[in-house]
Amino acid sequence: MEVTMDPLFLAWSYFRRRKLQQCSDICTKILQENPYDQDPSLFISEAAWSLKTRALTEMVYIDEVEVDQEGIAEMMLDESSIAQVARPGTSLRLPGTSQGGGPTPAVRPMTQSGRPITGFVRPSTQSGRPGTMEQAIKTPRTASTARPVTSASGRFIRLGTASMLTNPDGPFINLSRLNLAKYSQKPNLSRTLFEYIFHHENDVKNALDLAAQATEHAQFKDWWWKVQLGKCYYRLGLYREAEKQFRSALNHQEVVDTYLYLAKVYQRLDQPITALNLFKQGLDHFPGEVTLLTGIARIHEEMNNISSATEYYKDVLKQDNTHVEAIACIGSNHFYTDQPEIALRFYRRLLQMGVYNCQLYSNLGLCCFYAQQYDMTLSSFERALVLVDNDEEQADVCLLYPNVSYNGIGDLTLAYQCFKLALAFNNDHAEAYNNLAVLELRKGRIEQSKAFLQTAASLAPHMYEPHFNLSILSEKIGDLQSSYTAAQKSEDAFPEHVDTQQLLKQLRQHFAVL
Amino acid sequence: VSDVFIEETLRKWLDAHYDPVAGLYTFSSCVDLADLSGDGESRLVVGDLGSGSSGMKLKVYRGTALMSESTLLDLPAGLVAFFMDLHEPRIPAVAVASGPCVYVYKNLRPYFKFTLPGLEVNSLEQDVWQQAREGQIDPLTLKEMLEGVRKKADIPLSVRSLRFLSLETSDMDEFVQLHKQQPIRRQTVITCIGTLKKSTADEDGVSCLVIGTESSDVYVLDPEAFIILSKMSLPAAPTMMDVTGQFDVEFRITAACRNGNIYILRRESDKPKYCIELSSHPVGLVRVGKNVVVGCTDESLQGFTQKGKKLWRTILPAPITTMAAMDLPTRGFQAVLVGLANCEVQLYRDKNLLSTIKTPDVVTSICFGRYGREDGTLIMTTKGGGLIVKILKRTAAFDDKDSAPGPPLAQSVRLNVPKKTKLYVDQTLRERENGLAMHRAFQMDLSRLRLAAAKAYVKALESSLTPMSSSLTEPLKMNAVVQGLGPSFKLTLNVQNTAACRPVMNLAISFLYDESLYRMRNPYMKIPLLVPGLIYPVETFVECTSDKGISDIIKVFILHEGKSSPLLTAHINMPVSEGLTLN
Repeated sequence: MEVTMDPLFLAWSYFRRRKLQQCSDICTKILQENPYDQDPSLFISEAAWSLKTRALTEMVYIDEVEVDQEGIAEMMLDESSIAQVARPGTSLRLPGTSQGGGPTPAVRPMTQSGRPITGFVRPSTQSGRPGTMEQAIKTPRTASTARPVTSASGRFIRLGTASMLTNPDGPFINLSRLNLAKYSQKPNLSRTLFEYIFHHENDVKNALDLAAQATEHAQFKDWWWKVQLGKCYYRLGLYREAEKQFRSALNHQEVVDTYLYLAKVYQRLDQPITALNLFKQGLDHFPGEVTLLTGIARIHEEMNNISSATEYYKDVLKQDNTHVEAIACIGSNHFYTDQPEIALRFYRRLLQMGVYNCQLYSNLGLCCFYAQQYDMTLSSFERALVLVDNDEEQADVCLLYPNVSYNGIGDLTLAYQCFKLALAFNNDHAEAYNNLAVLELRKGRIEQSKAFLQTAASLAPHMYEPHFNLSILSEKIGDLQSSYTAAQKSEDAFPEHVDTQQLLKQLRQHFAVL
Repeated sequence: VSDVFIEETLRKWLDAHYDPVAGLYTFSSCVDLADLSGDGESRLVVGDLGSGSSGMKLKVYRGTALMSESTLLDLPAGLVAFFMDLHEPRIPAVAVASGPCVYVYKNLRPYFKFTLPGLEVNSLEQDVWQQAREGQIDPLTLKEMLEGVRKKADIPLSVRSLRFLSLETSDMDEFVQLHKQQPIRRQTVITCIGTLKKSTADEDGVSCLVIGTESSDVYVLDPEAFIILSKMSLPAAPTMMDVTGQFDVEFRITAACRNGNIYILRRESDKPKYCIELSSHPVGLVRVGKNVVVGCTDESLQGFTQKGKKLWRTILPAPITTMAAMDLPTRGFQAVLVGLANCEVQLYRDKNLLSTIKTPDVVTSICFGRYGREDGTLIMTTKGGGLIVKILKRTAAFDDKDSAPGPPLAQSVRLNVPKKTKLYVDQTLRERENGLAMHRAFQMDLSRLRLAAAKAYVKALESSLTPMSSSLTEPLKMNAVVQGLGPSFKLTLNVQNTAACRPVMNLAISFLYDESLYRMRNPYMKIPLLVPGLIYPVETFVECTSDKGISDIIKVFILHEGKSSPLLTAHINMPVSEGLTLN
C-alpha cells in the first residue's frame, strides 16, 4: 500500500526546496478540494492559501534593498532638491565633485554622469543623471546597461505581466474583491498577503492600505509593518513619509534592512552625508555588517571619493572574503592606479570563486598585458570572446585587441580591423569611433577622421577624447574656430585636462596675435 | 586668496558709494571729472551710451546724486572737459564727440556744434547719381554701375551709395526717389578726442581739442574760433589717443590705431615720427610720465618709451576691459589702473603689480582724479550699469614688490608614482626566466588572432556589415539614434558623405525587422543628394506592436539604386517598449 504524504507537508517541503511551481500546484489542488475550512481549529485551507501566496511571491521576489532604478520622471522632474547647484561634496548629482585621491579621467574612463567607471555594474552606476530630457530619452537603453525607466512601468510592470502569463485562469487573488480590513486583523495571513500584493501584483496602493490597517491593528507597535509602510511610501515617491516610517521602525527594533531602506531614502533625497552617518550609526549596532559597509563604499564611490571607497571595500573583504563586488572594485581601482599585477590577483580570486564571464576574462587579459605577462593575454581574450553573449559585449571584446596590437606591437592593420568589427557589432560605440578616427588621421584621410570624431562626440558627449581629438585635428588643418569650440567642449567634459588647457591657451594666443 | 584681497582693498580704499543700478553704460573715453560750476567741487561728467541705440545721455553727478541729465543725439565716442577761454570764473566747457560732430556744452547748455569738413567725393559716383536724377538709368543699372565704381575707384563710395547697394531690389526704387535730389556728401566720423594745452602748461590754461577720425586724420581745433589749426594724417584709423605738451611750444600725440600699431606724432611734421608695431591689438593706452603703457588683447601689458622702445611686458590674469592712469601729483605717485574681465582692477607701477581691487561686476570704465573735494577718488562703472566710487585713504601706501620669485612652485610638487610591488618583481623574474616560452606563446596567439580578425573582417566587408562604407565611389557613414519610451519610437539615421568633394546620389534606405513585433511608418526611404561633410538626419517612426516586453534588432540597409547588395548595414538594438498601445 502506498503511503501518501500529507499534501500540505509536501507543498511545504517543495517550498523549502524552492520548487515553487510544484508547491503552488499542490496548494491550488488543496484549495480546490476544500475552499473553506470545515474545521475552524485546523486552518488547513488557510495555511495552503498562505503558502501559495508565499510561493507565488518567491517566484518573482527581488530584493528591495538592492534594486534601485530611478525613473525618468524622478530624474528630470525632481522636486525634492533644494539647491540648483549643491555644495561640493554634499551631493550625488553633481559630477566632478571629486575630493581627490582618485585617478583623473585621462587614466580612468568616465561614465556619462562624470563618475569614474566602477568595477561592478549595479543599477544607477552607469547612466547617472542625464542633463537634458533629450539625453534622458536617448541614453543607451538595453538590458545590459542601467537605464532610466519610467517608474510606473519598467521592471515592475513587466514582473506583473509575467505572473499573469503563468496563470491562464486569471490572478490567484482578486484584489478588488478582497476585504483588506478582515485580513489585516489576522496577523498570520496579513503578512504573506501583503508581500503577495506588493511583490507579485505590484499593487502598491492596495498594499499600502493593507499595511496601514495592519499597523493600526498592531497599535503602531509592530516594526515590521512600519517598514512595509515605508517601502510602500518609497515606491510611491513619498520619501519624507517613508523616512518617518523607517525612523519609527528603527526605534522599535534595530534591523539591518531598515537601515538599508532608510539609507536608500536619503540617497534618493540626495543627502549622501546623512546616508553615510546613518550607515555608521548602523555599524555601531551591527559591527562589521557587510551590507552596511558596502553601502558606505558605494556612496563614497559615487561621490568620486575612490580612495575611501577602496578602504571600505577592504573592510568588507575582512568580513566576507568572497564578496564579489568588493573584490571587483578593489581590483579595478588597482588597475587604474597603475598596479595591474595586484589587480590580476583580485581578478584571479574572482575566477577561483566561480565567476565565469566575458567581462572577467577581458579584465584578466588586460591585466596580464599591462603586467607584462604576455603569454596569458590573448588566450584570456579568446576565452572572453567565447563567453560573449550579445553583440555589445562582442564589440567591447573586439575593442580590447587594438589595445594590444596598437599599444603593444604597433600593428595598425589589426587595430583598424578590430575597430571596424567593433562598430559592426555595436553601431553606437563611441570609443571605437574615436579610435578609428585617430587611425584614419594617421592614414591621412582627414574628412573621414573628422566625420568619425563628430559621430563619437555626438554619441558620447561626456567623453572628452573625441572633442579634444577634433580640436587637434581642426587646429592642424587651420580651422581655428572649430578647434576652439571643440576644445571648449573638451574642457567642459574634463576641466583639469592639461593638454586641452594648453591647446586653448595656444588658440587664444593665436586669436590675440595680429 | 579673496579674503586677502578684500582686506588689502579695505586697507587702502574707502568705499564711498556703490549703486549697482545706476544705469550708467559707458567707457573710459566718455568719463571725465571737472569743476563745472567753479565752486571748487569737481563733478563727474559721463556720456552715457544708453542701450546703444537709444537713451544716449550726458549725465552729471555731484557727490552720490545725479545732478543733471540732457539727451545726446548720437552715440558719444568721447567726452572731454576743457577750458576754452580766459574768462573768470574759470569754468570748463564739455566737448562730446559723436558722429562727425563735436558738441560743446558750456554751463551744461549747448553752446556750439563743430562739424568735420566733408571728404572728397568720387567723381564717377557723382556722375552716376546725376544720371539717375535725370532719369537716364533705372535703379538696377545704377546698382551695376556703382558696383563697378566701388571695385575700381581709389576713393571709396559715400554712405548713401553703400546703403543703396545693400538694399533689396524691391526697395531700390523708393530709395532713389527719396534721395536723388540731394547732393552726395562723404562724411567721416570721430573715433577719439583729447585735449592739448594751447600755450601754457597751467592747470587751467586754454586747451585745444584734438580729434582723431575714421579717415585716419588727426585735427587740432582752436578752442575759441573752432577752426582747424593743424591737420595730420596717420596710416590707419586711430582708436585711442594720448596728447601731451603745448600746441605753441612742442607736443606729442600718441595714437593707437586699428591696424595694431601705435604712432607718435610731433609738432614739426604732419606724418608720424615713430611707430610701435604691437603683436596684438591694443585695448588701452595710458601715458605715465614719459612712458606709454599699452594693454593688448593677448592679456598683456607693455611699456614703451616715448620714442617707441619697448621696456617691459607683463602677463595679466584675464582679458583687459579698460585702462586709466592714476596720477596723484601731491604724492608724486603715478600708476596704471587696469580693469580686467575677471572682476578685478589691478594697479601697476611699471611692470609691478601694486594692489588688486575686487569689484562686484566687470568694470568697463575707470576714472581717477579729484571728485567733490577729495583728490584721490576712483570712479568706476560696471558692465551691468553700476557706479562705484572709492576714495584712496591718506594712509595708504603702495610698496613695490618685484614679482620675481625663484623656481616655479610646480617644481617642488612630488609626483605620485606608485611603488613597484613585490608581486611585480616576482613577475618580472618569471618573465626573465621564461621569456622565450612567453614570447612564443604570445606570437602564436597573435597569429591566430590576426587570422580570426581578418576572417571576421572579410566577412563583415563582404556582407557590408559595418556602418561605414569604404568603397571609393560612395564613402558613407551612418549612425542611428533611437528616442522614446515606446510603444512609438523615433528612429533617426544620421547619414554622412565622408568624401572630400564628391556628392553621392541615388541612395535609398531599407529596413529589415520582425513584422510581428514592429510596425514601421515608411520602411523604404529615398536619401537626397548627399553633399560631402554634412550630416543628413533621416527620421522615421517605429511602433512596437507587442506588449510582452521583448525587443529585437532592426537592421538598416543603405542601398544604391539598381544594386541588390547593401552599401552599408547598421543593427539597431531596439529598447524595450515601456508603454502599451491603446487599442
